[in-house]
Amino acid sequence: MTIKTATAPLASQAEEDALSALLDGELSQTESLRALARIHSAPAERTRFRTYSLIGDSLRGLPDTHPDFTTQVMAALKNEPTLLAPMPRRRERRPALWLAAAAVSAITWGLWQSLPDQPIPAPMAANAPRPVDVEPYLAAHQDFAQAVIAPAEMQFTQVSFVEPQR
Amino acid sequence: MSDREIDLQLVERVRAGDQRAYGLLVEKYHRKLMRLLSRMVRNSDEIEDIAQETFIKAYRALPQFRGDAAFYTWLYRIAVNTAKNHLMARGRELPTVSDQAMNDEDEPDERLVAQNISTPESELLSKQVAYAVDEAVSALPEELRQAITLREIEGMSYEEIADTMACPIGTVRSRIFRAREAIAAKLRPILGTSEDRRW
Repeated sequence: MTIKTATAPLASQAEEDALSALLDGELSQTESLRALARIHSAPAERTRFRTYSLIGDSLRGLPDTHPDFTTQVMAALKNEPTLLAPMPRRRERRPALWLAAAAVSAITWGLWQSLPDQPIPAPMAANAPRPVDVEPYLAAHQDFAQAVIAPAEMQFTQVSFVEPQR
Repeated sequence: MSDREIDLQLVERVRAGDQRAYGLLVEKYHRKLMRLLSRMVRNSDEIEDIAQETFIKAYRALPQFRGDAAFYTWLYRIAVNTAKNHLMARGRELPTVSDQAMNDEDEPDERLVAQNISTPESELLSKQVAYAVDEAVSALPEELRQAITLREIEGMSYEEIADTMACPIGTVRSRIFRAREAIAAKLRPILGTSEDRRW
């Protein structure tokens, strides 16, 4: 097996152990993206990635029986068209905005409740002066317009109580 | 970022046109995939062919990968289907292992891995690598050996290792890195330094 040795000096110790932590899924999103970008640009980092993967698999008892496997697959893919199908962005949740909206609602409700009771004004339509020529029309349609022209005590609904038959 | 999220990031890179990111996924999972296939197919050449076909099919199907399942789970299903089709095309029986074992996504039962999946050359190399890794781990200082063992074999998180070893998480991260570097140094003479392997 021939794998390139990671000899290129890296920027810092923190960057070096970032790749190791990346393999373990122990980096933050920002650090992970930075480490992945470094792998993308530095062949030495890819070699390190391969070596670390091999060490882990070897410790877990997975034999490296096909050392050139990745090279062969990548050679086979050379003639494949480059994929250009970016993944759809997942809708990001904004809990801070929701929390703010909830807080404003709660404060508004609290203030509303704390206001002194005030008389509820009568509906505008009942008090509004009506033009005279409307009266005959309303009178002719009073069955359908009781709420407007009938006095309050006449506003009722007819119901009947029928004894259930046995 | 979890292992699964890192895989998703790599998939996103591939889908954005970075084919080399796919090489990292192949590197990461091909040994695990081959062990899975060794439960279904006996011949080592066939195992390699099916594994290659699986990775090529997966590459072509990546635009349909939505990330609902982990990448390896998705790859695993493609591998099982590819192996079944391969065996059916040759009019052969499905594997001697049970369907349940085939569909088990956990680490395979070692008793089922009865087939020899290696050629004499690759078997020799594999033994050399395994021997070098074992030797290197044995030669590590105790705190490095414990850290890498807990991580790679027990699968513990850094936080769990920190609790076990009663040290800060940053120390765990440093110890695991130093252990890997020490083992890698022992492997380099075996792995070689050729520059002709690019992906």
